[in-house]
Amino acid sequence: MECRSSGPQPSVSNASAGAALRWFEDMIDHCYDYAEAARAQGRPVVGIMCEFTPREIILAAGAVPVCLCGGSAATIPPAEQFLPANLCPLIKSTFGYQVTGKNPFLNWADLVVAETTCDGKKKMFELMGAAKPMYVLELPHKAENAAALEHWTQELHKFKAHLEERFNTQITEEKLRAAIQLMNRERGLRRQLADLMTQDQPPLTGRQLIEFKSIISGIEADLQQYENGLKSLSASGGDASSPNVTATKASLPREIRVLLTGVPIVHGAERVLELIENAGAVVVAMENCTGLKPILEDVDAADPAPIRAIAKKYYHLPCSVLTPNSGRFDTLRSLSAKFRPDCVIEIIWQACLTYDIESIQVRKLAEEELKLPYLKITTDYSPSDSARISARVEALFETIKAKAKG
Amino acid sequence: MLCAGIDAGSRSIKAVLLDTDTGKILAAGVSDQGVEQERLATELFDKILFEAGLERAQISGVIATGYGRNAIRFADTTITEITCHARGVHQLAPETRTIIEIGGQDSKVISLENGGRVRDFAMNDRCAAGTGRFLEMVATRLNMNWSTLSELAHQSQKPALISNMCVVFAETEIIGLLAEGKPLADVVAGVQKAIATRVAALAGRSVASPVYFTGGVALQPGMARALEEVLACPVGVVSQPQFTGALGAAVLAGERAARNNL
Repeated sequence: MECRSSGPQPSVSNASAGAALRWFEDMIDHCYDYAEAARAQGRPVVGIMCEFTPREIILAAGAVPVCLCGGSAATIPPAEQFLPANLCPLIKSTFGYQVTGKNPFLNWADLVVAETTCDGKKKMFELMGAAKPMYVLELPHKAENAAALEHWTQELHKFKAHLEERFNTQITEEKLRAAIQLMNRERGLRRQLADLMTQDQPPLTGRQLIEFKSIISGIEADLQQYENGLKSLSASGGDASSPNVTATKASLPREIRVLLTGVPIVHGAERVLELIENAGAVVVAMENCTGLKPILEDVDAADPAPIRAIAKKYYHLPCSVLTPNSGRFDTLRSLSAKFRPDCVIEIIWQACLTYDIESIQVRKLAEEELKLPYLKITTDYSPSDSARISARVEALFETIKAKAKG
Repeated sequence: MLCAGIDAGSRSIKAVLLDTDTGKILAAGVSDQGVEQERLATELFDKILFEAGLERAQISGVIATGYGRNAIRFADTTITEITCHARGVHQLAPETRTIIEIGGQDSKVISLENGGRVRDFAMNDRCAAGTGRFLEMVATRLNMNWSTLSELAHQSQKPALISNMCVVFAETEIIGLLAEGKPLADVVAGVQKAIATRVAALAGRSVASPVYFTGGVALQPGMARALEEVLACPVGVVSQPQFTGALGAAVLAGERAARNNL
C-alpha cells in the first residue's frame, strides 16, 4: 500500500514495549483487515479529514471512522492535475489518493466528513465531494464568541441526525456514552504514553512515540497494545539502567530535548522528525494534531448532554484556523513547563497560510516568554531539502550546546 | 598548533591551514565541487599542505563543514557552516553582530552575541533566488564574466525591478526586460537588488550593526552596496570572504584539539 511509511523504522527491542511498537509498525495492515471485516458485517466506513470531527458520533452510529489525511509524496503529482502546485502537501496528497484510487479506505468510505477549517481544505472538499458522498461540518472560527460553541453544538446535532438517516440507525444516548468511554480510554492511554517523555531519560524517541497511533480509532486490539507498551515502559519507572528501557532507546546520545509544534505529521511524512532526532535530539513533546493536541482533553462523560460535551471537547482544539488561537499558546506554555525542552522547532507545510502566519507569534512566545531558541522549518513531502534542514537543525543544536558550555 | 578547516560547499571546496597560536593563515585554497567530493577535498588539502611546506602528521586537527561535510572522512568531526562562518567572521572582525553569508546555493543571516557565539540564524528555504546561483545564471545568460557583473551594475542609474522568486522564471523575466530594451546595467543592478531584498527579508528585524558580508558572493563589490541600500546600514566585507567557513572550521578544530589535550 502506498500510504505506508518508507522512512527508517525506529530501533526496537525484543522487550514487550518493542512488541507493542512492532504491532503499530503494521498499523495500516491491521486497519485494512479491521475495516474489511467491519464492512463484511455491514458496518459503514466513514472517512475523516481533521481532528475536529468527533469520532464518538461516528462510532455511536456503528460506523468505522478512518483518518484519510495523505502523507505520501507519490500522490502529489496526480493531485496537481487538479489542484494548484502552491498548496499544502497534506491537502494535495489526500486528494491525490482520490485521483489515483490508491487509498482503499477512501475507496471504501460510504461517507467523508469534512469541516470548514482552512481555505485549501474547504475548496478541495468541494472537488472531492463531486465524486464522494461528503458531509461538511461548519466550524465557527472566532473561538471566543459565545455563540460559536452554540453553533458548533447545533452542527453536531445535525451531523448526528444525518448519520442516523444515512445509515438507517438510531444513535442512542447509551451508544454515545459507550463511544465517549471508548475514545476517552484511547486518548488516556496515548496521553500516558506521551507523558513518559517527561522523564529525564525518555524511554522512547519521538519517532517511536508517533508510531503509537492508528488511523482507525477504537480498535480493541490497538488499545490492548497501548496498554502493553505502557505497562512495559512504565515498569522500569524511567530507570535508564533497566534492560527494557535501554533496549528501546536509539544508540545516539540524546542531549537536546525538542518541543515540536506546527502542522500535523501524517503517517508517511515523518521525514523532518527523523532528521531532527538523527541530529542527536529527542522530540519530547509534539504539540500538533498528530501529537498531543487532540488527546489533551477528554469528553466529560458525566455531562447530562453528551453531544454538548463532545462539542465542547472538540471545539477546544487550538487549531490555527481559529482567531485568536490563544489556546495554542496556553498549550505550548504548559507543555514547555511539563516536558522541559531545550528548544522549540516548528514545522510548516509549504503554503499552510494559517500556521505559517501564526508562527511569528509562536517564535515570540518561545524566545521572549519561554526563553527557548526557536527554529521554523518550512517544507513539503519531497526529500529534496533534507540536507538543508539537517544543517539548520544541527546548527541550532550546536548553538544550544555552546550556550550550555558557557 | 596547526589546524585545518575544509568547507565542502555546494559549488566549491575551500580549505584553510591555520596556526592557531598566532591566528595566521598559512595557506588557503579553493577548487570546484564535483562528484568525487572526498578525492577533490583530499587533493586540495594536500595542495595547500605542500604550499605551506607541511605534512599531514603536523596537523593537530581537521574539521569539515559545508553541505559535503559528511563526505570528508579524513576530518576529525563535522560542524555546520552556520557555526563555522560565525567563528570565522568573529576571528576576522570580532565586533560583528550580524553576518550575511551568500554562497553558491545558500544565503544566511546569522546574529552573534558578545564573544561571537551564534544567537540566531535564518537561511533560505528551497529556493536559490537569493544566492550565488542566481548571479551565475545571469552571467551565463548575458554572456558575461561573473566578476565583471558588478562593474556593469555600478553604471546603473535605475535598477530594473526583478519580481520573480524563482531563478528559472527570473531568467525569463530578465530576457523579457532585455527585449523591452532595458539597459544591461539596469538589469544586472536589478538582479543584485533582488538578491539583497531577499536576504533582507530573511534577516527580518534582527539586523544589529556592525554587519559583515561573507561567502563567495561577497567577492562582488556591487552586492555589498546593494545590501547597504536595502538594509540602510553600512555593510563591511570581510577579507577573503570565500574562506570564512573553512577558517572558522580551522579555529574550531584548534579549540577542539586543545580541549582533547587537556
